[in-house]
This record gives sequence, structure tokens and C-alpha cells, in this order.
Amino acid sequence: MSPVINCIKGFYYRLFQFDDRLLLIISGSIAGICSGLAAVALRLSLESVLEWLHPFRQYAWAFIFPAAGALLSSLFLEKIIREKAGHGVPEVISSVSRYGGLLRLRSSYSRLISSFLTIGSGGSAGPEAPVVMSGSAIGSNIAKFLQLNDRQRTTLVGCGTAGAIAAIFNAPIAGLVFAIEVILGEWKFVNIIPIAIAAVAGAQVSQSIIPENVLFTHHPFDVGFSDILPSLCLALIAALVSVLFTKALQQTGALAKKNSFPFWIRAVIGGSVVGLIGMFFPVVLGEGYHYIQSMISGGFSLGLFLSFAAVFAKILATAVTLGWGGSGGIFAPCLMIGSLTGIVFHKILFMILPDIGCASEGAYALLGMTGLVSGVMQAPLTGIFLIVEITGGYETILPLIVVSSISSTMSHYLEPASFYFKELIERGQILRPGTDERILSDLNISELIFKGYIKVSENMIFREFIEILKSSDQNFFPVVDEKTGEYKGMIEIPAIRKYALDPGMYDMIFLSQIMDTDMLTASPDNDLQEVLDMMEINNIDTLPIVDRKRFVGMISKTRILDLYRRELIMQTSIR
Amino acid sequence: MKDLKMELSISDLSKYLGVTVDTIERWVRQGKLPVSGKPSDYRFRKADLEKWAAIHNIRLNFSGRESIVKKNEADVLLSQAVQNGGIHFDITGNEVKSVLKSSIERIFNIPDDFKTDLFERLIEREKAFSTGIGSGMAIPHPREPLNYLNQPLVAICFLSNPVEYHAIDHLPVSVLFLILCPSLKLHLNLLSTLSFCLKNSQFVDFLNSRPEPGILIEQIEKLQATCLV
Repeated sequence: MSPVINCIKGFYYRLFQFDDRLLLIISGSIAGICSGLAAVALRLSLESVLEWLHPFRQYAWAFIFPAAGALLSSLFLEKIIREKAGHGVPEVISSVSRYGGLLRLRSSYSRLISSFLTIGSGGSAGPEAPVVMSGSAIGSNIAKFLQLNDRQRTTLVGCGTAGAIAAIFNAPIAGLVFAIEVILGEWKFVNIIPIAIAAVAGAQVSQSIIPENVLFTHHPFDVGFSDILPSLCLALIAALVSVLFTKALQQTGALAKKNSFPFWIRAVIGGSVVGLIGMFFPVVLGEGYHYIQSMISGGFSLGLFLSFAAVFAKILATAVTLGWGGSGGIFAPCLMIGSLTGIVFHKILFMILPDIGCASEGAYALLGMTGLVSGVMQAPLTGIFLIVEITGGYETILPLIVVSSISSTMSHYLEPASFYFKELIERGQILRPGTDERILSDLNISELIFKGYIKVSENMIFREFIEILKSSDQNFFPVVDEKTGEYKGMIEIPAIRKYALDPGMYDMIFLSQIMDTDMLTASPDNDLQEVLDMMEINNIDTLPIVDRKRFVGMISKTRILDLYRRELIMQTSIR
Repeated sequence: MKDLKMELSISDLSKYLGVTVDTIERWVRQGKLPVSGKPSDYRFRKADLEKWAAIHNIRLNFSGRESIVKKNEADVLLSQAVQNGGIHFDITGNEVKSVLKSSIERIFNIPDDFKTDLFERLIEREKAFSTGIGSGMAIPHPREPLNYLNQPLVAICFLSNPVEYHAIDHLPVSVLFLILCPSLKLHLNLLSTLSFCLKNSQFVDFLNSRPEPGILIEQIEKLQATCLV
């Protein structure tokens, strides 16, 4: 090999392999750009299809649009891509927490197409979760292409997520915060830098293609001290609505699983229901950005009662869309429900106290959005930064923080698992880095087994065993069948001490007579958690591991502690 | 419901959690445990603790933490077992098989149907390793417990003629102690007591004098009492 190539190789190694920060920043920004492009593509195509379908909305048969969209979307997912419907964020979180961020390449476009069909036809869902899914799949596959390890791959998944959120909302900080707060759950220096770069890249892509500064423009609000108390009340209401929304989503999902319709009939029924709701409340259809814009800028025309009803109509429509086979996210519905809640609250407030001197309706729509986002996702920082960035309304930051923190606390109190985590916690798949569950699930039984035990035969006479005992420091002797090698029982030295000290017994007993056959055993397939529970319940320190009737080794609390500590050091170290 | 309102003291809790009082005090100081009461007298509400344990995936063991004590079967004294098995004199036979056969015939506590089976088991055990322990004594027994017996029995059989038994010290055997038990645990206990008794040379001499059954049992009672101490 020529010295030039060697030199380049050495340089490469020093720059990328030994210290991966630069590598992560570069590949992270590529992930951010790609997911940003995906997000922009979805947004532009949704805008154009909504425009194209708009003239047909006035006809009575328009309710079949959502039905057709849901049908196509579910057919596409089930038959072509073979993935589950839904919004995809839990899949990303579970892949990060259990499988080192591995995602399939096809996930990077499947949700884009299916959610385009669902939302474009009028289904009540948002385009954000699908782009999160595709952004993280892009990140994961870039990592796969570069043959990166699990930790680096997870970071790139975060980069993809941040780029997607940053691009679709044109909100880089919200992208960064969402990726770390919700997807990775780990505030670490090595994560934050590449993800921040990716968020910037995503937002930059979005800005250069769609030249607008903020998603929802408005006139500056006049928010003052008198708004703090009303925003406290709004936060509590927003928390209640969040819990209601979360419950509605879960209930309709469960209802859809119970009935025996084929998936595509289910999708048609769900779509038609959404279409019918849309006949009376056109606000519920699609992602609803247009209406949110009008609410913030104060041009929203619905009265108090209709707005109040629209909150529930939107909750119902979203739950049916997502639960019955449609595909899309809950970000946009959260914003929509939140702003409707804010408007209703403001209208009631002004009805009771006409001269309270609060800010305008638009400001409360904004606060309501924060309340819903923080409440449903239980991610207070995401709520704050997202709303500030998409509205450019920094003057509302004080009540915004109040609403966000109170709403997320309240909804956490009422429903400890957020919408994203609920299902994962039930499946036991939410394992945040550096937690006990994570370490226990990473440590394998096979890593902890202590092998190299002298085995003894059940037909061995005790005198012979005493000879073995003299030259061994084992405390446990597994007893096996001479012929088949099957595990029969265990001889524990403390239990046989009485006989060992009595030479009169040496020729009188066989090992099969003094072995303990009731000793609990575990299998190598058991989780460490199960083994620890077994030890805890029965108050024992050592367990034999038996695999298909063969003795493999012993597992002891001492050894578990030793390895647990090393694992903890490895997993919580900076790099 | 009343049970859930129960309050626990710090020492109760240390028992339930399996950690020391010091650890619990540190956890309270660090704000990790739901607590009420003053620092001098912490009180823990059971309902709060259960909620706390559920959140933190911690096992609370309100039933105490003693390890499962293996159930101790009613122990039987050697003297009692000898009374069950009986003391038999003048066993005829001139080799291992025939003395064992005639010994079994004399034990009335064994159902007749099982006698052949028992004989085979004893022979099998002798083939594996002689039970002659020296000084003219042997302890024939089956390897597996005999489930059909309701009580353990030890039969002492005095042979009319000493028999070659492949014993450790190559001396012919003149006294057999048949140990027949319904469980392994009883077997091991009786075996260990008997082995203790036979280590006493005075007792061995006493046996060789072919004592009266009543006096023999008295002697065994005395010896086993010292063994238990």
C-alpha cells in the first residue's frame, strides 16, 4: 500500500473513528437536510391537493373523500408496505430504547405516502408524526450505510427527527427539544450538538424552498400581568382536554381492534364518519393550519357554542381517523384543539368579566395550543418552544411557560403515561438510557453465568465425594445423571456439613440421597429482571441455570452486582 | 381498606424493604420516600408506600422476608424406630442373601406383597457398595424411600452365625440394622443417629452380648440423647 493511502487512512481514523464528533455532525446535518426535504415535500403536496379538492367540498357527497383516502392509505400500508397504521412516534421511541435505533428503509417514505392520502383527503390528522418517522428512518439508514454503532445510530435518529420537525414547522429549537425530550430522553452533550446542527439544516432547507418566516403570522399581542391568573385556569382546562383527547384516542383504537371487520372496511367506515363530521364542522378536516392561522390573527368566525362543540368534534374526528386505519400525527390536531380551547375559554371569560383587560383572543388560542401540546405529549419544553417559534410570539413567553408547566404536570397527575408512551409502557418497551430497567435488559443471563463447576454423578458414594470436596473450593455441586447428563439436583455444602463431619456416613449414602431437588432453577432465556425477582421473592443468593435439562452454570447476586456496576459505569459515562 | 390506612414505623419498613434503618433515613433525607411525622418519629402510610413502590418498580414484601423454611417433617427417634421394626434373634442363613431374606420375613410391619421387592432392593444396594461398617455390624437399606410405609422402622437382627459381608474391616457380620423409611429425610436422620451410636465401642460390645430387647432400647435412648446434645 502506498504511503499516501496510509496517510489518508490514518487521518480518517483520527478524524472519524477515534473521535466521532465531527462524523456525527456531518452525517447529522445530512440526515437533517434529507428529512427536511421529506417534510417540505409532504407539506407542499398536501397544500396542493387541498387546493385541488377545495371546489368539491361543497357537494353533499364530499364525505366520501376521507373514506377513500383512509381506504387507500390502509391498503397501501397493509398490502404494499406491511406496516401497522397509526402515527409512528411510539415505533421510533421503541426502536431507540430497545433496538439501538434500527428502522427499516421503507419507513422513510411509507408514512409520507399514507399520511398524504389520509390528510389530503380530509382525514383529521397532522403531517408531523409521519415526517418524524421518515426523518428518523433516514437518520437510521444513513447510520447503517456508514456502519455506525448503536449509540451513533441513535444520535442520527434524533438528528432526523429534529430535522423533520424543524422543517415542517420551520422551528429549529422545537425540533432540537422534541428530539431530545421525547424521542431520545437523554440530555447529553454528544447528542445535543449534532441534533442542533441537524435542526438548523432542516429549518434552512424548509426556508429556502418555502420562503416564509413563521408558520402562523399575527400582530403582536398585548400580554401583561393580568393574563397570568386566567392562564392558570386555562392550563387546568387544557390539561383536562389533553387527558380527554388521549383517552379518546386510546378508546377508539381499542374499539377498532375489537370488531371483526377487515381493515379496509374499518378504514372506509372511519373515513366516512370523519367526512360526515366535516359536513357540519369543516374545521375538523385535514391538518387545519388554515383555521389555526385565522384563530391566531383574530379572524375566526365561529361563535361560542359552535367553537365549544368543535373542540369535541375535532377530538372525535382525530380519534376516529387514527384509530380506524388512517395514518398521521397528533401534533396538528393538538394545535387545533388547543387553539379552539383557548378561544372558547377567552369567549367565556369575556362573557363573565367583560372588562378584565386581558389580551386578545389570538393570544389565548396560542396559550391553549401550548397547553394541549405539553399536556398530550407531557413534554413541557417542546410545548413552549414550538409555540414560540411557530407564532413568533415571544411576548407571550411568561404565560406560555405557566400554561405549559401546569398543563403537563396536571395531565401527568391524571394520566401518568403520556400518549406516546402508554402503549410502550404496557409492552415494557420504554427503556430510557441510564435507568435500572435499561441496564437489566441489556445484561444478558448468558453474560452473568459463572461456569466451570465440577459436576458429580447421582450414583457417586459419599466417600468419593468427600475426596472431591477436599480439593475444591466450590460451594455448590450440580448432580447429574451418569448416562444422560441431565441435571438432577444440587448439593450445597452448608446443607451436607453434618454428614461430611461424620465418617460413619461416608459409605452409607449416595449423592442422590443428599442432593437438594427442590432448588429453584432459571433458564438462559429468562430476563435478568425475572431472575432477580425469583431471588428476591425466595430470598436466595444463587440460582442454578438449567437449559433443556442440562446444567449450564450458576448465577449469583455477587456476580450480578459486579457486572451491574460496570454496566452502569459504561452506560452513564459521557461517551 | 382499613389495612391500607395503616401506618408503619421506620423499623417495620426496614424489615419490609430489606434495608437497614440507616438506609431508610438517608432516603427520607434525600426526598425519595413519601413520609409523614417528625424526623424523630417517621411514619409511613402503607397506601402511599404502595403507590411509591409501584412507580419505582420496587417490591414491597409486607409479609416479611424470612426465607422459606423447608418444612421439617416430624422427626422420629431411633428408639421409636427400633420399637417399630422390632428386635429379632437367631436369624438363620450362611451368606448375605439368605440372612437378608430371613430378616425380612421376621419384620411384621412390612406388607407381604412388598417383601420380594424389598429383598431385591436391599441386594441391589449391597451390590453397589457393602453396608458392612465394620466391627461385625451392617446397615442394610434400600436406596429409594419406601412410600408404602406409614412410619420409619429400624429392625435389629442378631444372626445365629456370623456371615461374610464384604465389610470394610473384612470381619464377618453378626448384627444387622435394617433401616426402612418412607422418606429420604427420615432415612438420613436415622442413619446419622445410628452411625453415631455405633461409633461408641462400649455400645458395640454391649450389642455383641446379645442383650434383652428392653435393656437394649433403654441403652439406645440414653445414647441418642447425648447425640442430640
